[in-house]
Amino acid sequence: MSAPLLEVRGLAKRFGSLRALDGVDLTVPHGGLTALIGPNGAGKTTAFGCIAGAQRPSGGSIRFEGIEIAGAAYHRVARLGLVRTYQVVQPFAEMTVLDAVTVGALLRRPRVASARDFAATTIDALGLGAKSATIARSLTIADKKRLELARALATEPRLLLLDEVMAGLTPTECAAAVELLRTIVARGITIVMVEHVMEVLMPLADHVVVLATGRVIFDGSPSDAVNDPGVIEAYLGRP
Amino acid sequence: MDVGPLPQLVVSGILTGLLFALISVGLTLIFGVMDVVNFAHGEFLMLAMYATFGATLIGINPILAVPVVAIVMFFLGAVVYRVLIRRLLAGPPSAVVFGTFGLLVFLQGAAQYLFTSDYRSIPNLPFQGTLHFGAVNLGEAQLVAGLGALLMTALVFAFVEYTEPGRALRALSEDRVAAQLMGIDVQGMNALAFGLGIACVGAAGALLMLTYQAYPRIGTEFALTAFVVVALGGFGSVQGALVGALLVGLVEVLGGFYISPALKMIPVYLLYLLVVLVRPQGLLGRR
Amino acid sequence: MTVRAHLIALGIVALTLTALALGYHNAFILNLVFAGLIFAVLGQSWNWISGYAGQISFGHALFFGCGAYASALFAARHGSPWLALPAGAAVAAILALLVGFPCFALRGHYFSIATIAVAAIAEIAATNLAALGKANGFEMPILAPGIATLQFSDKGHYVLVALALFVFAQLATLGLERSRLGFYLRAIRLNQEAAASVGVDARAAKLTTYAACGALAALAGSLYAQQALYVGPEDTLGLPISIAIALVGVVGGLSTVWGPALGALVYVALARYGGALLGGQGHGLDLLLYGGLILVIVSWRPDGLAGIGRSIRRALERREARAAP
Repeated sequence: MSAPLLEVRGLAKRFGSLRALDGVDLTVPHGGLTALIGPNGAGKTTAFGCIAGAQRPSGGSIRFEGIEIAGAAYHRVARLGLVRTYQVVQPFAEMTVLDAVTVGALLRRPRVASARDFAATTIDALGLGAKSATIARSLTIADKKRLELARALATEPRLLLLDEVMAGLTPTECAAAVELLRTIVARGITIVMVEHVMEVLMPLADHVVVLATGRVIFDGSPSDAVNDPGVIEAYLGRP
Repeated sequence: MDVGPLPQLVVSGILTGLLFALISVGLTLIFGVMDVVNFAHGEFLMLAMYATFGATLIGINPILAVPVVAIVMFFLGAVVYRVLIRRLLAGPPSAVVFGTFGLLVFLQGAAQYLFTSDYRSIPNLPFQGTLHFGAVNLGEAQLVAGLGALLMTALVFAFVEYTEPGRALRALSEDRVAAQLMGIDVQGMNALAFGLGIACVGAAGALLMLTYQAYPRIGTEFALTAFVVVALGGFGSVQGALVGALLVGLVEVLGGFYISPALKMIPVYLLYLLVVLVRPQGLLGRR
Repeated sequence: MTVRAHLIALGIVALTLTALALGYHNAFILNLVFAGLIFAVLGQSWNWISGYAGQISFGHALFFGCGAYASALFAARHGSPWLALPAGAAVAAILALLVGFPCFALRGHYFSIATIAVAAIAEIAATNLAALGKANGFEMPILAPGIATLQFSDKGHYVLVALALFVFAQLATLGLERSRLGFYLRAIRLNQEAAASVGVDARAAKLTTYAACGALAALAGSLYAQQALYVGPEDTLGLPISIAIALVGVVGGLSTVWGPALGALVYVALARYGGALLGGQGHGLDLLLYGGLILVIVSWRPDGLAGIGRSIRRALERREARAAP
């Protein structure tokens, strides 16, 4: 397999005169976990939005498994196997956990009965099994994040874009989430994740990309990232 | 060159359009400030027409009735906001649609029950003469109604543009959250906007009585035209409503003459569908 | 309610109405039951797009009229209306796609207003087209009664035909609730963007639903024409008909299987005293009560009569649970 799973070239997104993304290049190989980090306002969520198809990029190319998807409809990108989660959870508030995850599972399993079974398995795997009949609105924030992850996983994606799934979790919940991510990667699903909690991310990531003011300023291994002067400057400001 | 009846039609289209403008400004104001499409808008027009009819029955001059009815309708609108619309806004988005729709049915049913389906017109109508300007003949009543509507629209425009509460209304329609942070009393402003919107349609109803008759279902036809106008001008845009209304007035009058009076509304509705397809933000609206 | 409970309820309704249709010969009552069933089907069709899919239509008479005119035209030219049923349904479905395609990409009120505009265009066109009988409409030819002509001398037989369509609509709705499309529509209504993020094509789901509900309403229109033997623009395409259909849907309770049937029951009962059923002008008291009911429901119980029924059932169950320790 020569082509990378995801290849982003010169991705740009402008809001009026503001350049949220200013020529982002990003290559994600098959398998493993890529961390996308950067200070607030660097454009990480916007990049996710453009790659997943929620927002239309102003320029550049996005190839997923060799197919150009820049500007493609949101649901089409999901069908190709590229699914994202939201930083601010977007549940189907009035649905039960099982129903909400079933919506995701229906993407590959048109029959409701088999989608429901698969959704139940996914929910169990994420440790939400006891709450499958709970209405999404009344879940705790940690469970809402898990629900969001379960719904995305139920679509059987090849590439998952996770936007701050750890934010707001307690240290114990974080540790559990790390284990979870490891098992997802072990199942052959590639992950790109945006995260602020660096200590969590560094041992987990195979590959780190740092974004600052709409540009990629670093692309390499986690150990190099923490020593890179450019990265340190972007986070801490000029010494 | 003989332009035939064209000048006559254009003048008549503009005068019709001015009345549409007054109705539509009310609709677009309410939409802009609180994001509510008032499906009962036409029924308030109908109520105002009956109110004007009633006022003339007790001897009030029809022209004097215009401001009186507008003020009464303003308070009615503010009360309807406080009692009903405010509750609906707290519910799911569909609640506002169904609520104003329920109000439409309720008011129409009430009018039919109280006033029967008969057509009512003002006794001893004033302005029965016809003025002649070259090739253009104008009914005095039509002219008075059109100019009255222009005056009222201008007053509303001046209020929204140049007064302190008007500025607050515009701030609300541009950015609700920011306006709230600036300390604008949203509930008060919503009630003001709803009252003002209903006052506009109230004044329009009073002016319409100079040339039309009142009956329970008259509102729906005018309301549909107002929806077209507002979509043309861009939902929430007051200037857009004025331009859209003149355009619709012209289309209706010219279509009625050159195609057939019975089919005059078809070009108007087709115009709506065309705008929805080609330029959904409206002729003057921004995306 | 479980599927079993729904089916039992449907069976009881169907058996009761069949017995009524065959054993009771009061034409006035049978006509009311017929109108009730037609409105239940129309309300259900409206419920698919405006309840389950959340796209509020105020022009549903368009589809009803499509079916009615199709029936009348075919009956006049070919005798049998059987071809008219699929033809009217197909035309209605195509119209639904034409309206839905541009409008479903925009915010909801564009769609609602477009539905009114298109129905109004259809009404004006029917009022002025000689081929459609202009304002006078069509008197349909009286044919030999029987299933081939769908004309019956016994009013009860019309009730049976309408009942068959009603049962079909109820079963289809049960199926919809438990289908992929049903899940998708609920997801779209709750959060369209999140639904798209897991691969739901919102526009396609809404278009499919709208086409299906156009076809269902057209079938109801065909049956209505067969029974009334007269089709006119105001009676089938007018705004009051669209309003009545939406009323039935809202009052009964949106996105519920039995809401439209409950709404139709209340509508027919009130219209019986208000004097206006399918066209005609009543004295308005029925509309007044109906509008008031909607205002109360929308600001107090958005889930309508079906929701109120559900609450009562739950309260009873709780009481039973307490009574039997």
